[in-house]
Amino acid sequence: MNILEVKSLYKTYPNGCQALKDVSFEVAQGEFLVVIGLSGSGKSTLLRCINRIHPASSGQIIFEGQEVTGLKGKELRKLRSQIGMIFQHFNLVPRKSAMVNVLTGVLARVGIMRSVLGLFSKEDQTEAIEKIKIVNLAGKEDVRADNLSGGQQQRVSIARALMQRPKLLLADEPVASLDPATSNSVMQYLEKINKEMGVTVICNLHFLSLVRRYATRVIALKGGEIVFRGTPEQITEEWFKTIYGEDAVEVSVH
Amino acid sequence: MINFKTIKAILIDCALGAYSILVTYKVVYEKLLQDIRYADFSWNEPLLALGIGAVLGLVFFGWEGFSVGKRVMGIYNPPFGQPFIKAPYKFLSLLAIALTFVAGLHYSQVSVYEFLSESGLEGARKIFIALATPNFSIFEETMFAAIETIYMAFIATVFSLPFAFGLSFFAARNLMKANAFWRLLYVVTRFVLNVTRSIEPLVWAIVLSVWVGIGPFAGMLALCVHSVVSLAKLYSEQIETINEGPMEAMIATGAHPIQVIWYGVVPQIILPFLSYTIYKWDINVRMATVIGLVGGGGIGTLLMQYQGLAKWHEVGLIVMVIAFIVWVMDYSSAKIREAIK
Ligand SMILES: Nc1ncnc2c1ncn2[C@@H]1O[C@H](COP(=O)(O)OP(=O)(O)O)[C@@H](O)[C@H]1O
Ligand SMILES: [Mg+2]
Repeated sequence: MNILEVKSLYKTYPNGCQALKDVSFEVAQGEFLVVIGLSGSGKSTLLRCINRIHPASSGQIIFEGQEVTGLKGKELRKLRSQIGMIFQHFNLVPRKSAMVNVLTGVLARVGIMRSVLGLFSKEDQTEAIEKIKIVNLAGKEDVRADNLSGGQQQRVSIARALMQRPKLLLADEPVASLDPATSNSVMQYLEKINKEMGVTVICNLHFLSLVRRYATRVIALKGGEIVFRGTPEQITEEWFKTIYGEDAVEVSVH
Repeated sequence: MINFKTIKAILIDCALGAYSILVTYKVVYEKLLQDIRYADFSWNEPLLALGIGAVLGLVFFGWEGFSVGKRVMGIYNPPFGQPFIKAPYKFLSLLAIALTFVAGLHYSQVSVYEFLSESGLEGARKIFIALATPNFSIFEETMFAAIETIYMAFIATVFSLPFAFGLSFFAARNLMKANAFWRLLYVVTRFVLNVTRSIEPLVWAIVLSVWVGIGPFAGMLALCVHSVVSLAKLYSEQIETINEGPMEAMIATGAHPIQVIWYGVVPQIILPFLSYTIYKWDINVRMATVIGLVGGGGIGTLLMQYQGLAKWHEVGLIVMVIAFIVWVMDYSSAKIREAIK
């Protein structure tokens, strides 16, 4: 079954920039779909249209059989709560502990008053501790997010996304600001979530070596349009030059 | 080629010419040269000056070395390192400034004679001696008035806090760009804040003392109004510098806008807010003193009373206490702000 269907999606920013043009694709339950493309090709825009951080200009986005482009207010928040998101710069709440940051993953399920007062239920707290364990940060619960290393911060943000009990995980260049070793470890957590928990993942990536190792399927964007669909093995030298331009040389991360 | 810039340039030359002519005639000629005490005034004079200014503006327009307006608007760009002598527009600007200086001296009634007259110097000697030998018998009274002022400033700061806090989010451009409605609300909030802030607390005190009667309450309310608007501006500017990443992350979790603000914005601004608030209390203590002078209560009012009775030894003590309080507030607020940075 397809968890997500995107049909001829267009996105034009208010300043007139056409970031997405006629983008259509499906994502089956359990896939690890990787989106590649030069910077500026529209990868981030695509992810942000899926969870409606940016409104699409036209086209359809169907999540679990439901058309979501028109959702508003409570319905929209419910949709977002089912979709976890990981960012290049982690986007943790500064000055708050890892624990509080993970707990923000349940905001959609907690009353406004309770969350403002910081009154998270025992169950939520237990669950948060569990998620922190999954990303191997047990013992770091009370460390302030801004005092953690980059890799640790990204793992906290993965735990935060897990707290949402997501059906779909969007990852926007999750390792672009990490060193190669840390990159692989963070990617392995995403793989674990995908394989063991069955969470569908859509991930923007830069490095083809990572794409080859983790992706089950790949789409490539160029100037806001899909120029390639296939498996990682199908990205040949020629395709590489089409996607990244004639002068591109493949660099790899080991 | 007539465009917006050239029109502005001509208007600047026109206004500058009219201004120089008017000041030369009304101040330099009538007051200083003719020494006319009550000069006649008719609206024809400024109109005539404006007419001559317009002629000058048009003349200078074709004669660009003379046009201040063209230079200001960037239409006339003289070569770099051009000698001063070949830049008449510089002389014209200096002339306007010199005229303003002369007029300023005249209007503020600068008088070396009075400054150095024998009776004047004698008065100064007396008052400085009195101020330097304060009368400590009113120390208690002064102390209680000072306490009143400090608490008044404190309460004004505390009362203004929630309002300033709430308003600051509506006055922050980066939070208000969702759609036309919010953008309009932003513009309106900014406008109201700017207008309110442009009215000095002293004026608010006078207005409010008519409403609630003269005394500390009016003074406190005046400080409150001023604190709300100035804190809201400082706060909102702080909000505009936040990293929007955490906010975006909170939106992505499906959080309600209030939760987004609470977790995505507030942790990033809370310390600067605290620091501004303490600074504001410090400022409010000084302002409360000044507001006291117009009957807002506290040590300012006390100062006014003794000054009215020409009791300079008592005034000396009050001035000393004010200086002490200002120094303590200044010092401790700086220390606290440093500690929470
Ligand atoms: N908020 C925005 N407003 C206007 N244009 C934007 C905005 N965000 C991205 N863009 C433009 O949209 C295009 C795609 O950007 P993006 O989706 O960030 O690409 P990628 O993530 O692949 O680097 C770029 O040309 C970028 O300049
Ligand atoms: Mg991007």
